Amino acid sequence: MGPYGRSERRPSMAERRPSVSYTPPSIPHLAGLEKPQDPHLKLDHCDVLILGTGLVESILAASLSWAGVEVLHIDQNKYYGDLASTLTVEQIKKWVMEVNQGRINHFQEAQLYVPGGSQTNNFCSKDYGIDLTPKIMFAKSDLLALLVKSRVYRYLEFQSLSNFHVFENGQFNRKVSNTTKQDLFTDQRLSLTDKRYLMKFLKFALIDIQDEEKNKLIWDNAKTPIGEFLKHQFKLAEPQINELVYSIALCSKELTKAPEAMARIRRYLTSVDVYGPFPVMMLKFGGPGEISQGFCRSAAVAGTTYKLDTRLIDYDQDKMIARFSDGSSVKIKEKLIISPTQIPPFLRAQYENEVVKDLQEFYVTRLTAIIKRDCHQWTSDHETSAIVVFPPHSLPTDNNESVQVIIQNGGSGICPVGESIWYAQLIEQDLSRAKLDLQLALDKMQMTILKEEEEEEEIDEQPQQSSIDAAMDDVDYDDNLLKPTDMIMNSGVTPPSPQIVSSSFKLGDELNSFTPKKPLDFVCKLGYVQKTYIKPNLVNVLLNANESNNIIYKTLAKNPNVIFSNMPSAELSYDGVVSETKGLFSRVTGSDEDFFDVDFEDDEEFGDDDDDTPAHPNASIIGNGDLLSQVPPENAIESDDEDDDDKHHNDHHHHPFDVDQMEL
Amino acid sequence: MASPQKSMNSQTSRLALFKLVLLGESAVGKSSIVHRFVKNTFDDMRESTIGAAFLTQTVDVPEKEITVKFEIWDTAGQERYKSLVPMYYRGANAALCVYDITNEQLFERAKDWINELKKQAPEGIVICLVGNKLDLEQDRKVTQDQVTEYLESLDGSENIVLSAECSAKSGDGVLDIFNRIARALPLDQRIQEWAGGAAGTRSRSSTYSGRRTGGVDLGRGDRQLRLLLLSSCC
Repeated sequence: MGPYGRSERRPSMAERRPSVSYTPPSIPHLAGLEKPQDPHLKLDHCDVLILGTGLVESILAASLSWAGVEVLHIDQNKYYGDLASTLTVEQIKKWVMEVNQGRINHFQEAQLYVPGGSQTNNFCSKDYGIDLTPKIMFAKSDLLALLVKSRVYRYLEFQSLSNFHVFENGQFNRKVSNTTKQDLFTDQRLSLTDKRYLMKFLKFALIDIQDEEKNKLIWDNAKTPIGEFLKHQFKLAEPQINELVYSIALCSKELTKAPEAMARIRRYLTSVDVYGPFPVMMLKFGGPGEISQGFCRSAAVAGTTYKLDTRLIDYDQDKMIARFSDGSSVKIKEKLIISPTQIPPFLRAQYENEVVKDLQEFYVTRLTAIIKRDCHQWTSDHETSAIVVFPPHSLPTDNNESVQVIIQNGGSGICPVGESIWYAQLIEQDLSRAKLDLQLALDKMQMTILKEEEEEEEIDEQPQQSSIDAAMDDVDYDDNLLKPTDMIMNSGVTPPSPQIVSSSFKLGDELNSFTPKKPLDFVCKLGYVQKTYIKPNLVNVLLNANESNNIIYKTLAKNPNVIFSNMPSAELSYDGVVSETKGLFSRVTGSDEDFFDVDFEDDEEFGDDDDDTPAHPNASIIGNGDLLSQVPPENAIESDDEDDDDKHHNDHHHHPFDVDQMEL
Repeated sequence: MASPQKSMNSQTSRLALFKLVLLGESAVGKSSIVHRFVKNTFDDMRESTIGAAFLTQTVDVPEKEITVKFEIWDTAGQERYKSLVPMYYRGANAALCVYDITNEQLFERAKDWINELKKQAPEGIVICLVGNKLDLEQDRKVTQDQVTEYLESLDGSENIVLSAECSAKSGDGVLDIFNRIARALPLDQRIQEWAGGAAGTRSRSSTYSGRRTGGVDLGRGDRQLRLLLLSSCC
């Protein structure tokens, strides 16, 4: 047998299970001319039909295809990504209109503000890639491990993110920038005592985490807010608590309980130094939309058929025949998976009455702004992205929830160089309040970037009084707020007008005295509200997910073959995405045993490394519970589960800060 | 039959990575051409999982002391319903637009794909219009004159458009396509970029037009799969 002979491959689950007839995945890209792929061949059947090319659905399509399942994957849009898409400005315009016409389920109150006309606001729509549900990727996370294992990472470009800013007392603190041992621990502002307490806590968080006493302490405080826990158990001072909770853990001092917050703190700390001195990575050219495309391509390679701009218009449960808007029909042998934004009209009533009726809904409000400045002041050298967090009660609106903002400048490939996109989100359930919180957060950022920019410029040039006066006249703050009249699309539906209280601006001390010389120019601002049934702490995805609390496990009485997927969660990271996909995979195949159980051959680039391949450092992360899996069940805590989790954590544990060697 | 050009792993030669995409209707033999080029086999129906990413093959350009490494993206069938992912075109340096010389309709469709490329692909992409199935000369429907006429109609276009004919089945002409594309690529520009400070980097980003700011290499060819901050190797 030659070097390119048939290779040994472990039969997939579908092959091993006698109950399912196995159809070898066709690999069109290697098909020879003897058996050409007939372009006129009518696609008349498939095992699974998936509607919507969002992130979860795309990973599902790829995982099923590689397990030998025949998948037809369609999307009603002309583009990939569905609810997780990365869109151009023109596509956003259309999307906003469709949302306000009620045509995109689970999204509402979309507003788009494009200042000026084509003369004053010149931009090329295609230069922008706006994520509908932007996310950040921790270096140690199950999705990244899956990207590596599935080889989908090779379609993508990654960039590091190490700057987390917390807005406090009217200014951005940069304590968490460049989170290295030195930066975190040689902060001159820390007293020796505070430093010692912080060190003690970090040792607790990172070393011997399977230790019984440690875990007992955490679980004894299952109901204790993390702020209190850190204060009483570790005597941490307020600034360190804020830093740990808001930027490192991306959660809330009051609302997040100790076990979940500890898992989140560990998520960050264990991610630093996995691939470099940064905890988080961003994808170039867009986040979830880009990853969706990557998995769709992988699925296509494994045999999935793709059709965009196609709707399911009818499904006959008895004959298992699906009919599509292009006139074709296909027999669906097993399941239909339907994205929450692409539920066909004939299934909507069943979805409302049988699937989501008893589930608690959560609203995520988002405000995305494209700024004609890059925000290099907030990113590290050689980086293109940063995170800004406005903790609860830090804004003049006395916000209840954190406003989390992802900032990406032109180097990230989603906007031209010299510009940036700010993605702000929060989970405030009072939506008019949420919009105001977001607007004020954006305003703070706007003032801050202008101030920092002018400070840079004014090093050798003092401002003249007259120019400030002139600027006062020019600046019209209302211009920067979303107003109902800002809707550039007349959708026939009047969006609820956001409460805009422009007189209530209370800038922080630092910003109070600052008046910008010129306002910040925007390409556009986009606001919208998204509904999800995933809890903000992901407990109904990562732990105890079942038919009583999660959409994906629900079964329709009349259409038992239909499965619905979830809207993206409010979680800023990708946590939960892989778990949800595995849940769906299990519903189709019976278990998640074969979820990306594919031994990809190494091509010549990797060929020389064959000896080492089993030692793939990240592959083993797959299948692990997520980082947040330490969230306790709502009522009882199974000690067995804890042990498993902890062993598991221990297996892959490393000490990014070398805390055990650190002495003060 | 043409012999395949195996990677020469020339010690002195510098490696320049370029992305090449395939276009054309289903069943014109896109994959077969690549398979012939990369593996020098034709009817190998082996179930391969390599395709999870893409195939690679090198071409030496001795006169420039450079080895061109093609990262070849196949359509994976997504061309069938016009559902190619946008990332397919992104950063592409070269494209094969394939038709079947025995089918005039497929030739017309190849022209449509060239128009699509001009819309979607980066400026300066090198395009090669490839007539496959040269082994079926007796059934030829698309003449050289037609091709020449079409290429002339493209004069003034910003792209370099080459044309070629081959048989993936016999292997005739396949290697020649890639040799010609390699020489039409902006090799001098790449050499200058290297001279400009990025020498020695094998990063993918250097292939693409995008900026390298903050780029992270997730382990291309690096068995430890360690991410490298590009800033540290530039």
